Parts: sequence; C-alpha cells; structure tokens
Amino acid sequence: MDDDAVVRQKMTERYLLNELDPQARDKFEEHYFDCPNCAADVHAGALFVEQSKVVLRAEDHKKIQFESKAPSVERMAVPPGPGWFGWLRPAFAVPVLALLLAVIAYQNRANVLLQQAVDSPQVLASAVVNLNVRGAEPISVPARGGQAFGLTLNLPPGGRFSSYKLDLYSPRGKLQWSRTAPASGDTLSLYVPAGVSGGDHDPGTLAVHGLAAGGGSEDLGRYPIELQNQK
Amino acid sequence: MQFDSFNEAYVEWLRAGDFRTQEHFRLYFTALIQVKLRSRLRSWEAIEDVRQETFARFYVALREGKIVHPERLGSFVNSICNNVLLEHYRAAARHGARNNNDNDSDDDQPKELPSPILDPLAMFTAQEIQQKVREILDQLPERDRRLLREVFLEERDKDEVCRDFGVDREYLRVLLYRAKQLFKALYLKNNDAPETTSA
Repeated sequence: MDDDAVVRQKMTERYLLNELDPQARDKFEEHYFDCPNCAADVHAGALFVEQSKVVLRAEDHKKIQFESKAPSVERMAVPPGPGWFGWLRPAFAVPVLALLLAVIAYQNRANVLLQQAVDSPQVLASAVVNLNVRGAEPISVPARGGQAFGLTLNLPPGGRFSSYKLDLYSPRGKLQWSRTAPASGDTLSLYVPAGVSGGDHDPGTLAVHGLAAGGGSEDLGRYPIELQNQK
Repeated sequence: MQFDSFNEAYVEWLRAGDFRTQEHFRLYFTALIQVKLRSRLRSWEAIEDVRQETFARFYVALREGKIVHPERLGSFVNSICNNVLLEHYRAAARHGARNNNDNDSDDDQPKELPSPILDPLAMFTAQEIQQKVREILDQLPERDRRLLREVFLEERDKDEVCRDFGVDREYLRVLLYRAKQLFKALYLKNNDAPETTSA
C-alpha cells in the first residue's frame, strides 16, 4: 500500500467511516502506523469527527435549553367555554401574554450578551511560580474570588523530570483536582477556572511533584495561593 | 522535534532514554492507538489498559534489542497492540464478558470516546479546535451538515442515511474528505509549531 493508493481510494475516509473489512482495515493500520503522512491524515480526520460530535451536541443542548425555558404561548391560550377557566378572559390573558413576550425578549437579549461576553477576548489575571526555589512561598494572584486565573510555573533546569504532577488542595486540605503534564520547555502554564474550590475565596494550595522517566517522584513544594483582590 | 520517519537514530535515542524522544513516542503512538481502538473497544479505560500494556511490552522489546527494523517501528508497535488486543478479548471472554461493554465485534459501530482535557495546558488548543470545526460545519450547506449529524452524532446506519438524503456512500466520503482537508491546516499548524505554553 502506498500513499497514492491511500488518497486515490480514500482509505482514510473509508477507515473513519468503518467501511473497510477487517483484513483491509488491518492492512491500512499497518501502513499508517509506519507512515507519518498517513498517520497525520488519519488522526486529523478522527479528531475532526470527534469534535464534530462535541460541537453538534452542544448546539442541540443550547437549542433544548432555550426551548425548555421559553414558556409555550399555546399553553396559555384561552380555552372555550365557561367554568373553571372562565377567569382567563381576554381582560386578564392579554396583559399576561404581553408580560410573557417581554420576558422572552429580555431572555433573548441576555443570551446574546452572554454569548458576546464568552466570545470576547479577556485579560487573564496571572502569576509566576518558581519551582526552582524550595519553600512554601505563597503565590499572590491579582484576581478576585471566583475569578479564573493563570499560573506560569518556571520548571527546574536540567530536564530531570519527564512530567509533573499538579495537585490543588482546598483551604480545608481536600484534594480538588490532580493533573499530570509532560515536561516540555522551561515552563508550564496552568489555567485555573473560576470557582474551582467550590466558592472559597482563596483557591487553596498547589502541590507540585516532578516525575522522572524511570519512575521516581520528587516533591517540588506546596504553594498556597492568595488572591489579592478579594472583593 | 522534526519528524519525517522512524530510523536507527530515533530508536537509539529511545533506548538511551532521551526524554524528548520518549515524549514524542508516547504522544505519537497514543494518538494512533486511540484512533485504532476506538472502533473496537467501548470504554476509555479498556483503551488505556491496552495502550499501557502495548507501551510496556514495547519498552521491554527495546531494552532487549528486539527492534530489528527501526524504519518499521510503527508497524512493530501496531503488531504488539494487536497481540495485546487479542489477549484482552480472550480475557474478557473467559470472564464471561461477552455481554458487557468491553468486548466488541468487528462489525460494531464505533463508540464515541470522551475527549477529556487531562490538563489545563490542552484547554486552549481544544477550544481552538472546536472553533475551527464549528466554522467548517457552518460553511457546509444545511443538507451536508445534517448528513454529518445523522452519521456521526446520531450514529444511524450509513446506508439508510444516504438513502434518506438521496446520496451515495462516495458522496459521504468526499464530504468527509473535504471537511478533513479544511481541518488539517489547523491540525498541522498545531502539531508542527513549537509548544506555545512553554518558553
């Protein structure tokens, strides 16, 4: 199998659409595992397919949320006849419907503003942490409680570690989350989302461990995080 | 690290424990193994188990000098993965797991894998990728967009979907090919550029 045949026969697309019989599939896999060009093609295609599902599902979710929040005008229609529903006469129903339409218009506007806020570039509060310096120096971040911020970790020189384990503890000492990141370059950038510690004003303490390729681990310090702008 | 193909130097760096080569190996083959196994195993955990066992056996073979053809390193990893996968199926069958989620036949439809962002470093790249995918989908005619939705999100039978839309399978392949090519520009940029979160 060569690259020309792969492109000519759209092997990548057939593979991603599960159209290859097991023998052809195995043969194609043997090819792309050895061929960086075809590997990139397959991986890009698979990534596109998976992210398409994410994007399409998110759109469905937004649509469902909007539809479930918007009250149905039909349900408020005045049924004919007297009796229990007699009080829903136009004298009452018209102002109620007008109020509902105003609510819908306001909600639409709020959604547009929210979407604009999400899409707009924003300045991220951040701080630098030197892992080279041992100790428990607090990390002072110019952010408020409940605000997202970034941390740039200056890694120890020498490339001793193949990866780093980052643990965030709440002010009460409970492990909030743990991540492992490969070592690449001189720094690691960490994005801490808003409200990561369940609403506490100070996010807590960041513990860092260096992980060697051979399996060892070294404690690189615990850094309490302090938010400067609490209000 | 510029990468054109596997060779003796690459294998030597791996054997010597060069951490950049090891990282490249890990990232490169993790991606390929996940794509390979997504149509065979349903759970993220099972895929990760097979991947880890594949890597463990590879490093044993590397230390024992069993990489005879460095230029075929990729297919060597693939064959190890196939053996591990076979053992996984046998173990699942022995434990009576034919009715559980980890045992798939070749005819099963692929299952969606979660795309966990395992560390915040990848979050910005993931957002950029989703934005690009959204742009590509938005550019498609409504009919093509719905076609991709039915195939990928709803996971309906492809022949039925093509019949409903009045197209053939080749149309679907070309549609995927064109979308993939548009996406590849961003993909290649992200994979060739230096690490943007490191200095």
